[in-house]
Amino acid sequence: MSDSQENPALTYHESWDAGDLGCGELVLPLRFKLKAMQPGQVIRVRATDPGAPTDLPAWCRMTGDTLVHHDATHHYYFIRRKAI
Amino acid sequence: MAGTGKLCISLTCAKNDTDKATVAFVVANAAVASNQDTMVFLSIEGARLSQKGYADDIHEEGFAALKDLMENFVKADGKIWVCSPCFKKRKLDEANLLAGATIVGGAKLVEFLSDGTPCVSY
Repeated sequence: MSDSQENPALTYHESWDAGDLGCGELVLPLRFKLKAMQPGQVIRVRATDPGAPTDLPAWCRMTGDTLVHHDATHHYYFIRRKAI
Repeated sequence: MAGTGKLCISLTCAKNDTDKATVAFVVANAAVASNQDTMVFLSIEGARLSQKGYADDIHEEGFAALKDLMENFVKADGKIWVCSPCFKKRKLDEANLLAGATIVGGAKLVEFLSDGTPCVSY
């Protein structure tokens, strides 16, 4: 799947609309979803929680997963599962 | 052992315990004045302090007004982080957030503390 034909960097393999979930209610399900994916695959997460713009980058720095892109306008976060 | 150069002050009170709310920022100001990368984490009732005007009428006897303590803290590059679920539960207003305050989730707090940074709680 791709978010935009003009931007192949936004290709993703799974998508999850987390709505307004935040804090532990956001990152724990996200951890389970990423663990079910293959290393290197990307999930597109939509998260509208006001803490998400700081929380998801921090979470990625700790887990070793990569925040590939943050589309602030549409509340999308593209996260690549780390290689094993 | 060398410190991390950072300090977290966790504050869970606002008008329900103005003494704690005030002392937390007094200590935070001491920390930031001591060249520590200082972050006040506002959670539970403390999240209300993230709103402009909320602290204007809090002035504990023997201390500076809380509004002044908070303004000086931010002016000295202190960070104010606000617990996202606590903020939402209380239906606080993002548009009325204090300058220098940031709404964060648990991962951001955990990252700040994960290098062994100490935390003082009020």
